[in-house]
Amino acid sequence: MNDKLLEVKEVYKTFDRVVHALNGVSIEAHENEIVGVVGENGAGKSTLMKILVGVYSPDKGEMYHKGRRVPFPRNPKEAAKRGISIVYQENGVIPWLKVFQFLFLGHEDKYIKFFKLQTDIMRKLAKEILEELHVACKVDAFMHELPLSTQKMVEIARAILGVRLESEDGDMTPIIILDEPTSPLTDDECKELFRDLLKMKKNASFIFISHIIPEVMEFTDRVHVLRDGNLVAQYDFSKEKMTEEDLFRAIVGRKSSEYISRAEGKKVAGEEVVLSAKNLTKSGHFYDVSFDLHKGTCMGFFGPAGSGKSKIIRTIAGLLSYDEGELKARDQGLKADELPHVRLAKGIGYFSGETGKELFLNWSIAKNISIINMQKILGKFFPVIHFNAERKMAENIVQKLEIKAQSVGTDCYSLSGGNKQKVSVGKWLERNPDILLLDDPTIGIDVGAREDIYEVLLEMKKKGISMILVSDEPKEYSILCDKIMFVMDGRIQKVLGPEEFRKVMST
Amino acid sequence: MMREKSINRPNLSLEWLRSNTTTVMPIIFVIAVVAIFQVINPSFLKYHGIITLIYAMSYFLIAACGLTFVIMTGSFDFSVPNMLKLSALICVLYIEKIGLLVIPLALAVCVAFGFINGLLLAKFKVPSFLATLGISIVLDGIAWYLSKGHLQIMQDETFRSLTTTFIAGFPSILYWGIGIWIICTFLALATAFGRRTYAVGGNLEGAGLSDINVARHRIYVFMLSGFLSGLAGVLYMSQMGGGSVNIGADMAIPLFASVVAGGTALTGGVGGPHRTLLGVIIITWISAGMSMLAIGNDVQMLTFGLIAIGMSIATIDRKRIKIVK
Amino acid sequence: MNNQNRKKSILVAIKQTLKMHPVIIVFLALVVIFGSIYPGSFFSPINFKAILRQFVTLTLFALGPSFVVLTGRLDLSYVGIWMLGGTLVWLLKPILGMFSIIMIPVTGIATGLFIGVIQTKAKIPSFILTLSLLVTYTGVAALIAGGYPRAVDGYGFITAPLIRLIPSTFIWSIPVIIAAVFLMKCTRMCVYLNAIGSNEEGARLAGINVDKYKILAFMLSGVFTGIGAIILFQHLGGSAQVELKLNNIVWPLVAIVLGGTPLTGGSGGPQRTLLGAITFTIFYRGLYLSPLHPTMITLLVGIVLIVAIIISARGLKGVTVT
Repeated sequence: MNDKLLEVKEVYKTFDRVVHALNGVSIEAHENEIVGVVGENGAGKSTLMKILVGVYSPDKGEMYHKGRRVPFPRNPKEAAKRGISIVYQENGVIPWLKVFQFLFLGHEDKYIKFFKLQTDIMRKLAKEILEELHVACKVDAFMHELPLSTQKMVEIARAILGVRLESEDGDMTPIIILDEPTSPLTDDECKELFRDLLKMKKNASFIFISHIIPEVMEFTDRVHVLRDGNLVAQYDFSKEKMTEEDLFRAIVGRKSSEYISRAEGKKVAGEEVVLSAKNLTKSGHFYDVSFDLHKGTCMGFFGPAGSGKSKIIRTIAGLLSYDEGELKARDQGLKADELPHVRLAKGIGYFSGETGKELFLNWSIAKNISIINMQKILGKFFPVIHFNAERKMAENIVQKLEIKAQSVGTDCYSLSGGNKQKVSVGKWLERNPDILLLDDPTIGIDVGAREDIYEVLLEMKKKGISMILVSDEPKEYSILCDKIMFVMDGRIQKVLGPEEFRKVMST
Repeated sequence: MMREKSINRPNLSLEWLRSNTTTVMPIIFVIAVVAIFQVINPSFLKYHGIITLIYAMSYFLIAACGLTFVIMTGSFDFSVPNMLKLSALICVLYIEKIGLLVIPLALAVCVAFGFINGLLLAKFKVPSFLATLGISIVLDGIAWYLSKGHLQIMQDETFRSLTTTFIAGFPSILYWGIGIWIICTFLALATAFGRRTYAVGGNLEGAGLSDINVARHRIYVFMLSGFLSGLAGVLYMSQMGGGSVNIGADMAIPLFASVVAGGTALTGGVGGPHRTLLGVIIITWISAGMSMLAIGNDVQMLTFGLIAIGMSIATIDRKRIKIVK
Repeated sequence: MNNQNRKKSILVAIKQTLKMHPVIIVFLALVVIFGSIYPGSFFSPINFKAILRQFVTLTLFALGPSFVVLTGRLDLSYVGIWMLGGTLVWLLKPILGMFSIIMIPVTGIATGLFIGVIQTKAKIPSFILTLSLLVTYTGVAALIAGGYPRAVDGYGFITAPLIRLIPSTFIWSIPVIIAAVFLMKCTRMCVYLNAIGSNEEGARLAGINVDKYKILAFMLSGVFTGIGAIILFQHLGGSAQVELKLNNIVWPLVAIVLGGTPLTGGSGGPQRTLLGAITFTIFYRGLYLSPLHPTMITLLVGIVLIVAIIISARGLKGVTVT
């Protein structure tokens, strides 16, 4: 049983009096262990970490270091003095710095003599720490020359070095927070990273934030599960046996009654195949994805984050290219590196829940709806816009979807989240594509608006629009999908019908 | 409940004024400028003064419209004055050999360079201000080479009559200017092309997802800018009757200043040729007024530089920029 | 055994340097080409002197902006600092005597501070900001000087010949160059500028006060341009200029880009600019010896600029460019 190194109790944090990011969360990290903090997007993980490193200060809560009560750090330097340091998920690496420069970035003040940086001392120390932590690279190499997993290792070395340089207590065990360290890495690189991390366990403790279940299960000693700002579970893997699905359910956890399917269970056989994929592969992201999408049905790609489901749908949309395999819409082949507008011309629309990307916020509702329906409002001889037709088209949609706005001339900036989403859906309703790809369609909007959007989507399905859904809300799959593909580690593991899905999710 | 009014009819309350400053400011500016200069020199608005203004404004307006389209997409076009120059020189140098065919020739050359500008940006990812800067130098070189640096005089009467025929008391260049401006405004506000331009400038990612071939559209926009610059050059030569490689020497900053002064922001997606009219009026009238007060060219440049900086600051959409270079 | 190893490591070092700085190959090639076509005039003392003179002008204008380009921004104000500074020297000479030369570096620092603050607080793209400032300065300078260049006496000692064949201004510029390279290689500040240009968000996450260093970059540019302009003041005729010549603006940019500092920032710096400056100077003087008209040469310079940018922009995959 390892000693408690760091503990925080009953941490509360609210932003703008409205967003309750953390409601009384308590976690602890022991010496020489890797402890996981897991949860969905918005569960509160990164807020908690930012509090630990001093970027935010909590509204309420207590912090204990080695059993002694200490105040929360007020900035990253103070946190480093306490031994706490963080390796960010993205943007942490500076590509054109040399390894030794990057290692000491931010701490050079200890190595300046007569305005000159003592680069020879820095190089020597860099070499020492890299050897100690088993990181294989040259101190004079540029960061961008290193493989991605080595870059991560250097980032971790930098965090540890930072703690050592700043702390007054020479004996301090560093607590390094790893924020989703594996998101930019391929499978092989992940394996390397974890191998090296395990070796480092005797020098430091790690708090490992992730929502990639297989990794958490394999590499952490204990795990805390956060959901909606609360700590909902704590597991010790040395003591309890769990499967990945157990953990997944703990993270996602919904009542079974919420899974009543509203997908009408259309008869799939005999219907035309509108989209088919054979062995679609993108190295490092997904492999051998094959499916047939039948007309008027909705297919869902379901899985934990990092499983590759988002990448699959974005590849179909044309935002990403694929390496191998075949993708066909009816009879038309879809080439690997086509741009989205070409895919749209071939009948595949992409709908993202992020209204910042989807909509032109400083435009009116009418203009947003008409932009992908131009041919309906242009004149016969010249591509001139018929404003009357545009207005009528928008009014029609606004009425159908009950969008709350002063008029179709209102700017989308001023609409509420739910209404913005309705405008997005509305424009696709008008467009009536063969296939509509739904990428997190209801992210960030309230329950009432969600229901409305589901209604519209189901109606569109009835009209014959085929859909593919990717979402972080399991409930949506139940409501909308006729067929659900369970994706894990970039591969399709199982194909479920709506009934089976409900059973799996609600135990 | 939907109101009967289909488009927001502006309510002239203080609130509306405050939230629409970039639209209202230029108008106030224009009124102020005219008033000030009129007070200083009562003959400012007399017939003679107005004719001078028309001559100064019209070709300038056309070139500014070209630049406006480019800025609407979030790019820069530094080569507008140079295309104007080259186009003007082509007209005067070859009119004796091929007559009025110089006009389509000049336009074609400018459109070709516009195409190159767009290509450099869309395919080779060269930032637009650098691409067009480089092209502007190339255009200068060609202009020198063709004209050998000498002053050229346009003798052809037909060519000159294009802009100097007086109709209803005003030189025909006025009608050219206004006509083209109307077409540009129409293009921007009421065609699919215009919508796409606003889309590309307003939300590059969203535009790509909205059925727009972004790379191709940007090339089109630069070609349009080339066309309008070339057209401005043709009209310039017709109006001035002569010129050398010094044409358009001090035009870049006033051109840019008039586009931003009208309310077309550097971040793209807003503004348009209708706004640029106001900006052009402001800049050319300030210039005329200052010349009237015998204020030197240098101070004028200073003023335009300050206006350019000031209006850029005022109109930039800070919500959209995370990292500015 | 040791000799062989040493030879090997020298070869490796040379290969690496060439890989990092391909412009050196261009430089050598140009020397060879022009040297063989015009052996008499290219290697003559007159040409040598002219090369050094042009190198000085180019370098002293381009060193300062190199620091700004490191952070991924542009600073086009150098010509303006020289012009306005010079005019202020002429204006204040009766009052301050010889010390009035200090107005140039003062203008430089003030300009750098101004640009830095506006750039970081008001978020205006540096290109248009510094360009507009340049034009404004031209106007102010012309206003002060009454519209034409003004001669200023008393600084002739700067150009007084010291060593045969080598312009004195070249000698004066050596400490400036050394200072710039020292700053680049040996100070924390330049590591930070590099970091900001390479990954601004990452630099911020690492705890660097990004805004402060951006302002510092512009001020550094102003200081170097200011000090360089003291030398240039006399070098270019000992008078305050008030006319804007496009070449003065573009050539230093070419030197920076040619040297290998990408305009997106993150690597390179003054030492690369030196290479670019000397290469460009050889290129220009070589062409000058040929029967080409000077404006044709300017055209070629424009093409070289574009080609250099295209080549350096090839690393910009996935970056949105406007």
